[in-house]
Amino acid sequence: MTQTLDRTDVDEGLTPERLLDAYRTMRSIREFEDRVHDEFATGDIPGFVHLYAGEEASAAGICAHLDPERDTIASTHRGHGHCIAKGVDIKPMMAEIFGRTTGSCRGKGGSMHIADLSKGMLGANGIVGGGPPLICGTALAAKLRGDGGVGVAFFGDGASNQGTTAEAMNLASVWNLPAIFVAENNGYAEATASTWSVSADNIADRAHGFGMPGVIVDGFDFFAVYEVAGEAIRRAREGGGPTLIEVKFTRYYGHFEGDQQTYRPRHEIGNARESLDCLKRFRERVTETGRLTAAQLDEVDAEVAQLIEESVAEAKAAPVPEAADLLTDVYVKY
Amino acid sequence: MVPGSALGIIPNPMSGRDIRRIVSQASVFPNTEKASMVLRILRSAGTLGVERVLLSTDTFGIAAGVQREITRLSGARSTAHVRWPKIDFLELSRPTGTAADTTAHARIMADQCSAAVVLLGGDGTMRAAVPGLGDTPMLALSTGTNNAFPIMIEATVAGMALGMIAIGAAAAPETRAKLLHVEVTRASGEVDHEVALVDACVSTSVDIGSRALWTGTHLRELYCTFGEPHGIGLSSIAGRLLPTHRTDGHGAAITLDDPRRAAHTVLAPLAPGLLQPVGVLEVGQLRPDRPRTVRLDRGTVAVDGEREIEFGPGDRVTVTLRQDGPRVIDVPAILAESTARHTLIRR
Repeated sequence: MTQTLDRTDVDEGLTPERLLDAYRTMRSIREFEDRVHDEFATGDIPGFVHLYAGEEASAAGICAHLDPERDTIASTHRGHGHCIAKGVDIKPMMAEIFGRTTGSCRGKGGSMHIADLSKGMLGANGIVGGGPPLICGTALAAKLRGDGGVGVAFFGDGASNQGTTAEAMNLASVWNLPAIFVAENNGYAEATASTWSVSADNIADRAHGFGMPGVIVDGFDFFAVYEVAGEAIRRAREGGGPTLIEVKFTRYYGHFEGDQQTYRPRHEIGNARESLDCLKRFRERVTETGRLTAAQLDEVDAEVAQLIEESVAEAKAAPVPEAADLLTDVYVKY
Repeated sequence: MVPGSALGIIPNPMSGRDIRRIVSQASVFPNTEKASMVLRILRSAGTLGVERVLLSTDTFGIAAGVQREITRLSGARSTAHVRWPKIDFLELSRPTGTAADTTAHARIMADQCSAAVVLLGGDGTMRAAVPGLGDTPMLALSTGTNNAFPIMIEATVAGMALGMIAIGAAAAPETRAKLLHVEVTRASGEVDHEVALVDACVSTSVDIGSRALWTGTHLRELYCTFGEPHGIGLSSIAGRLLPTHRTDGHGAAITLDDPRRAAHTVLAPLAPGLLQPVGVLEVGQLRPDRPRTVRLDRGTVAVDGEREIEFGPGDRVTVTLRQDGPRVIDVPAILAESTARHTLIRR
């Protein structure tokens, strides 16, 4: 007997369009960060930047489940990837990093304060552990509205040790909030290895103490992150409460640009880039199974490269804020 | 101490943390408890006279916890008399943080003539060790509630069985467990190969995703080396329909369908807390050495509950049952035999 399946029988997973969207998001983040890395070295970018390259599958895999209208995210000092994945426009982001008036925050926030409330992006955050309490607020709002919205707090292994993070997880559990806590464990809090600074074996293990499920996922694998996030978000939307997801990976650049990274093993980054890279693995998986062609992915690469090129050129050509702008767009009236 | 006696211990630091913590009430097994289990095995084996133990290392504190605790116990007056084996901490030159580390550790331990290797983990951990073990017997100790292959038994008792084998007071198992070989011949001619100790399941899920399978609707073909009526996971389907013992010469092959349209269904515990209906089309024995060709033309194959292989219309997938698995230590049998021979009795 041969069992031939009609198309409706197959769990299609992600459609080709959504696969391409996911790839575009990850490629945009990589291209954006690689370019900021290069531009920062020229001295044109003021302030500090912390790059997300290597971690793209986390932001892309999680934000692929989120709506711009009802779902919110809170980010970290390493926030460019979260912004892009949540749909913040790339050109104003680049202009913001260059400190120009065309930036997302009129050039006053810079890398660590990029925000776009219209997209549900509450902001990158210079305070380590600053995001999780914010998400309790938006998750409570979503619960009261009853629209099925969720709040997602991204934070690092360093922030996992902060009191704010612990308080937020406790509150989210006590109030049964639709909140997702994403611990992006890249192995280092600034220059301190998480094996030295995190008391638990895994950050996810702490979930049990807060009365929520804790899961570990391979942060280099978009498909693994996507599925875990999908179940956690579905659970939260349906009233099942919060989840802690620990995403394990490593970052391709330093804590900040200029970091000499003497605290890292010599081959760590090279090994990850060569054998674990999320974009490489994604490309292999979708082309080997015939779900997308290399040409389709190459086309995305070219589009993204052009967009980043234009973003930098336009940012550099845009004016910087004047002294007279000092107090504009700083306070909000309610 | 018995000169030359040696054991290997591999506790998997990553077992028990997957998506089933969200979708079901699967247990969380702390690494501190795995370290305690290792200590109990060490103490038990040391008491019986095992000279040396090779212990895998990790970055999650298990090996470090063992070292710290032995130092503490050895320095305390009340426990200074405890006879610990000499411990060699095995460090891989290039650890990957993946299942490949388990394979590599198993291979080194087998090469260094360990009488037996005990693995602490789940079905996936046990499967990862198989290619490295060769003829070295394994003891599969469960660290969680979601496993079919490893057994739940107190580590002290497991340490006794291991110790007896290592010092020559009990015979190592001669027979091999059954193993499923999954071969995928790609359109390019390339062949991918995976093994499964318990089950290989073909599902209509097209993504490997987070690997675990926990719903009955997408399952289409199931091949099992054994299926116990008290089992958990995919092999529990065989346990409910065609109970098959680990030592039977055959396995089980079951064709499945979406339970919403199948004439027959069975309720099976696919994951902890998830008793799910599964549609059943055909049930039969799986004969050894006869490759079965997967009928589905697109989907994934899960080995021991974890989706590992994606395949499409151009690929040919076969599943073959063979009697070439690891030599597995039967703790109750070893201890029963030692009781009959009065091994631990002094008059």
